[in-house]
Amino acid sequence: MASVSLTNVVKAFGAFKVVHGVDLDIADGEFVVLLGPSGCGKTTTLRMVAGLEDVNGGEIRIAGEVINDRAPKDRKIAMVFQNYALYPHMTVRQNMEFALKPQRLSKAEVDAKIAGVAAMLGLDVLLHRKPAQLSGGQRQRVAMGRAMVRTPEVFLFDEPLSNLDAKLRTQVRMEIAKLHKQLGTTVIYVTHDQVEAMTLADKIVIMKDGHIEQIGSPEEVFARPKNLFVATFIGSPSMNLFRMTAERGDTGTVLSSPAFSLLLPVELGAKLKPGQAVTLGVRPSDVRLAQAGDADAIEARVEVVEYLGVEALVDLRIGTQEFIAQIPASERPALDQAVKVVFNPAGLHLFDSESGQAL
Amino acid sequence: MGYVNRRNRTIAGVFLLPTAAVLFLTTIYPMLYALYLSFRNYDLAKPFIPRIFVGLANFQEVLTSGPFLHSMLITFKLMGVTLFFQFVIGVGLALLVTQRLPGMAAIRTLLLIPMMISPVIVGLVWLFIYFPELGYFNYFIGLIGINPIPWITSTQWALTAIAIADIWQWTPFVMMGTAAALQSLSPEPYEAARIDGNSNIDVFLHVTLPQLKPVLISLLFLRAIDAFKIYDIIFVLTKGGPGDATETIALYIYRQSFTFWRMGVGAAASFVSLIIISVLITLFFKSMQKSAAAR
Ligand SMILES: Nc1ncnc2c1ncn2[C@@H]1O[C@H](COP(=O)(O)OP(=O)(O)OP(=O)(O)O)[C@@H](O)[C@H]1O
Ligand SMILES: [Mg+2]
Repeated sequence: MASVSLTNVVKAFGAFKVVHGVDLDIADGEFVVLLGPSGCGKTTTLRMVAGLEDVNGGEIRIAGEVINDRAPKDRKIAMVFQNYALYPHMTVRQNMEFALKPQRLSKAEVDAKIAGVAAMLGLDVLLHRKPAQLSGGQRQRVAMGRAMVRTPEVFLFDEPLSNLDAKLRTQVRMEIAKLHKQLGTTVIYVTHDQVEAMTLADKIVIMKDGHIEQIGSPEEVFARPKNLFVATFIGSPSMNLFRMTAERGDTGTVLSSPAFSLLLPVELGAKLKPGQAVTLGVRPSDVRLAQAGDADAIEARVEVVEYLGVEALVDLRIGTQEFIAQIPASERPALDQAVKVVFNPAGLHLFDSESGQAL
Repeated sequence: MGYVNRRNRTIAGVFLLPTAAVLFLTTIYPMLYALYLSFRNYDLAKPFIPRIFVGLANFQEVLTSGPFLHSMLITFKLMGVTLFFQFVIGVGLALLVTQRLPGMAAIRTLLLIPMMISPVIVGLVWLFIYFPELGYFNYFIGLIGINPIPWITSTQWALTAIAIADIWQWTPFVMMGTAAALQSLSPEPYEAARIDGNSNIDVFLHVTLPQLKPVLISLLFLRAIDAFKIYDIIFVLTKGGPGDATETIALYIYRQSFTFWRMGVGAAASFVSLIIISVLITLFFKSMQKSAAAR
């Protein structure tokens, strides 16, 4: 097991820069997820750690040693590829044997390792099959098994679940979480699926255009997004955004827009100067229907109601401003009706409209 | 195919007629005529003598007399040597030209040139190279002090000379087929092997070669069938000589038919070689089916 750290790591393909100075520290045994939209440089970053791409600047350390110029095989890592990268003409057992071959173990040791991993992943009955004779989920497990038999210090996963259907994805996701708990090996896991990231990660690294936007635990990135990108990228449905201006009111700082105005809690109001342009963020789950005693309720029109079973998503409109409320399905209003809603004061996020940074 | 009514079928037949007629005139009729001749005594030098039926005498002569068996031996010897080198060099070159190095595309195109030249021209080119006194080959080895080699005029060297020319012409074919197959292999297993630390030789033997196998088998049979009927290069370089040192089956048939004018014997030999080729082709399809089933 080992720690991994990236210091100002840069990658360019020709003149095209794709990773712009990434800094990241991963503790021994930590499960880190690189999350971001397509093309943001997640795979490239992972491949640099693996040694499959050269590093154009900065340093990568594994267990404290700089490994920039070390061959992939000398980095004590194992990788699970998106499309599994199994050897098509070899059986499951032969796939694992071939991965172990460079370690020059005795036949008995190899058999013991394969038996151990096969038992852990439920591959025993598949050992004599070839990849073409396996289902997608089985291939995925074989790919993990092939990585596991080598007992690496760090596991690298590149979107390992993206070729599986939704149900299988949930199942294998839980298996991966269990395996990590069992083995305790450091993991770097690339995905663009935020559910995978939230459920698996000790630490999420959110990337965009080759930059890291925020590093934090799942709770941190959800509850305290550092900027508008992270705020809207994490959470589904996306956070509602309102462009507002801060004003000094009689009882405290008020945010106002043509659509509505809102009195801020004291500690939030203290962060703003009068006249400042701010973006207010409120997650749909922090919007609820007003009850009789609620002060400061906002009136909006119901445009669409999506019934999801336990909950319902309600698309609301005030003038040109649209937003979504996520409410218990039993409370859902009728279409085209005017309703009053309130925002949960603890769920208000403020961002500087110009820089997009959280205030 | 769906339902085809009688009228449509008639129309389809009409459209097929020209092709069928050409096929019949150029392939089926000559073949049947050759079959007919193989049972007759037909001396083209004495065309007025009736072509009497001789039973299996022509076949008996072909299969029991020395020259045909000798030509078969020469054919398979040449096939073995040329295929061996064409595949070893061709696969090696394919591995080289599929590397991502600057200039590889150009080198690849250059390497294909021999294949694009007609075999008769290849024969002529190599005739210049091998020419006893004035040939380039002997000139160059003379520069480093080696005595001239009687490439095409000695029984000892003639078959080697032909093998070299044939290897030169057909190695690019093997290279091209193999390179195309190499490029269709997915790169991830190679990256997995790099991470696991498998040696290059292990990767070639256990990852690349098994995946190339179906393509290599196809190329091997195509080359074998072609090598079996080798004719043009030999005809230009040695005409089967000196003596019968380079007389392959095709040259034997030619010699019987058009030098000795023994059309019946030539036709019988053609049929024997047709049967051998058919066996080769059947084996080929059998092995293709087997490797398809093994997937
Ligand atoms: N070999 C390459 N040559 C040139 N550009 C590349 C190469 N590999 C990746 N890129 C570019 O680098 C950028 C980052 O690619 P990368 O594969 O790391 O994205 P990603 O975050 O993994 O995206 P995805 O979620 O779609 O897999 C993209 O703009 C991509 O086009
Ligand atoms: Mg990727």
